[in-house]
Amino acid sequence: MGSDILEISINAIKLIVIFLLMVQLVPFLVWVERRGSAFIQNRFGPNRVGPLGLLQLLADAIKFLWKEEFVPQKGRAFLFYAAPVVALLPGALAFAAIPLSVPVYLEKFELFGQTWGPYRIAIQGYELGIGIVFVLDASSLGAYSLLMAGWGSSNKYSLLGALRASAQVISYELSLGLSLVGVLLLYQSFDFSDIISAQVGPLSFFFAGHDVKVPFLPNWGIFYQPLGALLFFAATFAETNRLPFDLPEAESELVAGYHTEYGGLKMLMFYIGEYGHMLVASALMVTFFFGGYHIPFISIEGVRTFFLDHGFSLNGSNLLTSLVFHLVFLLKVLFFLWVFIWVRWTLPRFRYDQLMDLGWKVMLPWALCNTIVTALVLLVAKEARF
Amino acid sequence: MEGLLFYILAAFILVFSLAVIVVANPIFSALFLVLSMISLAFMFFLLQAYFIATVQLIVYAGAVMVLFLMVLMLFDLKKEIDIFSSGQRLGGLKIASAGLLTGLLLWSIHYSIGLFQLQPEKVLDAQGQMEQTKTLSVILFTKYLFAFEALGFLLLLIAIGVVALSRIKGGTHARD
Amino acid sequence: METLLPILFLFVFVVIFGSFLVFIASKFGPKVKAPSQVKEESYECGLEVQESKTTKISIRFYLTAILFILFDIEIIFMYPWAVAYKDFLGSGKGLYIFLGMGVFLAIFIYGLFWEIKSKALEWE
Repeated sequence: MGSDILEISINAIKLIVIFLLMVQLVPFLVWVERRGSAFIQNRFGPNRVGPLGLLQLLADAIKFLWKEEFVPQKGRAFLFYAAPVVALLPGALAFAAIPLSVPVYLEKFELFGQTWGPYRIAIQGYELGIGIVFVLDASSLGAYSLLMAGWGSSNKYSLLGALRASAQVISYELSLGLSLVGVLLLYQSFDFSDIISAQVGPLSFFFAGHDVKVPFLPNWGIFYQPLGALLFFAATFAETNRLPFDLPEAESELVAGYHTEYGGLKMLMFYIGEYGHMLVASALMVTFFFGGYHIPFISIEGVRTFFLDHGFSLNGSNLLTSLVFHLVFLLKVLFFLWVFIWVRWTLPRFRYDQLMDLGWKVMLPWALCNTIVTALVLLVAKEARF
Repeated sequence: MEGLLFYILAAFILVFSLAVIVVANPIFSALFLVLSMISLAFMFFLLQAYFIATVQLIVYAGAVMVLFLMVLMLFDLKKEIDIFSSGQRLGGLKIASAGLLTGLLLWSIHYSIGLFQLQPEKVLDAQGQMEQTKTLSVILFTKYLFAFEALGFLLLLIAIGVVALSRIKGGTHARD
Repeated sequence: METLLPILFLFVFVVIFGSFLVFIASKFGPKVKAPSQVKEESYECGLEVQESKTTKISIRFYLTAILFILFDIEIIFMYPWAVAYKDFLGSGKGLYIFLGMGVFLAIFIYGLFWEIKSKALEWE
């Protein structure tokens, strides 16, 4: 994880901070969701505790802490307790693999009376050459917490909810995985940094012996893979079990699905898992199709020289550049998180057969079609001469 | 350090695998099998076989074991467990098959010693991991292309077989 | 090693963090003062808990799961193909690699449409 003690501790703290970033986004998102839904449905939402109801979250957290401990009588206690812990894992492992900003280069500097060598600190949990497949791995482990919770609470509704949830999650994982093949064909790498750096600059590509250039559009993946982006985004909705795909917790049929018997902090941990999935989905959307942390038409070097010209040191301007690009990334991610919330309060719920039909008979064939067309176009673009 | 990590992971794999066959409840057995699959994937990571590690996670931990868990959780397996865990003739059969498997394993270990020459250590960075995967795919699509197409056909046969099996008489999906 | 350590570190940290949350939740919360049969029963909308030994679950769930595994394996094989596709194009073997996967994909599509036509994916 590093060559000396400082680099190792920086990397370890970085991992923890990225995980906590995911955790602390939950209360904020819950607030946005409540106020947003109230706004959409023309009512008030939480507005009593603190300005704009912002402190409602704190009140909720304290309330969660003082809930009575409860294990259903015939519940398998170990699984009942383990399920919320497992629910945290997929989101955390996947989010740490996504680059959040420009890597920071630190020149030699003095600290604690010692000189520390030059470092390159990537603003991501771990740099994996096979990052994309690793993220899919992590999210495919999501079914376990549902099944463990459902079986651990020995309740019919929980078990049925868990069953539906896992069948739904695995069905949509196919479309999710297949819609990414087009992206891989284009950028031919599993590494997120390669994909992000390929999306810099204005839209330009090579087609049938001609160099095509569109100077007023950024070189984003969405312009090459519109269908892939749509399928991917729709599949992530199903993966996160949110409306219109929230059959696992359809209140009118199953009370609350797999977390019927849960309350207090354990319930909150399922929420962290769900919002973590949303965060990962939005971050992936941004990374694959909307240029990652890059600002259209502004280069990293430009921002860095801007800071250097305004009297910052080399290390300082490197850090500030990274911060600026991180904020841009967060802004893009927040937009997609808002879309998640927006859709939830706009669309009604599917019926279960409609849901399965959509996954297997509509999205899977279209994702296949997307793959074949992408491969064919690439072949024609390379071989044909007009 | 690397050796230490290897032995820790190996110990985890052994303990989890032992738990799979020792634990009485089949659901806990399956969960331990999941844990041992995940440890195995980490072991592949340690051995720098990155693509294999992720495939191990997706296919075994993420797909096959989910199916196992779903089946185990939804069937009331009391009767089947009782049948399976009693009886002398069956016990003899179980010991015989376990012995056969152990023999096969030992023979294959004995046979494969010295078969592979280990290459000197080379730490792969992100770029190297991608190169490795591309090399793998070039080999797969040139040298082993026929096996690859045959696999596609085999998977089709399985898909058809599964549907046919689910329709035999007495099933909930039977065609009358 | 360099790639594995951070992953293991995060894995262990999240597990410890989660266990800690579960632990403090059980420490802080009020204890059950008067345990009663009714309270400890699993929730069933206030009705008597019904135990049915033979829960019949539709076989479609298993069918879905098995078909998922098969298609998942086929999709996993497309990943190495996709990342090496442009390399093959560059070395002038574009048609070869396209058709190589094309045959596989044709079998895949035939399988998928057979499943749809045979109503194995039908839910009612």
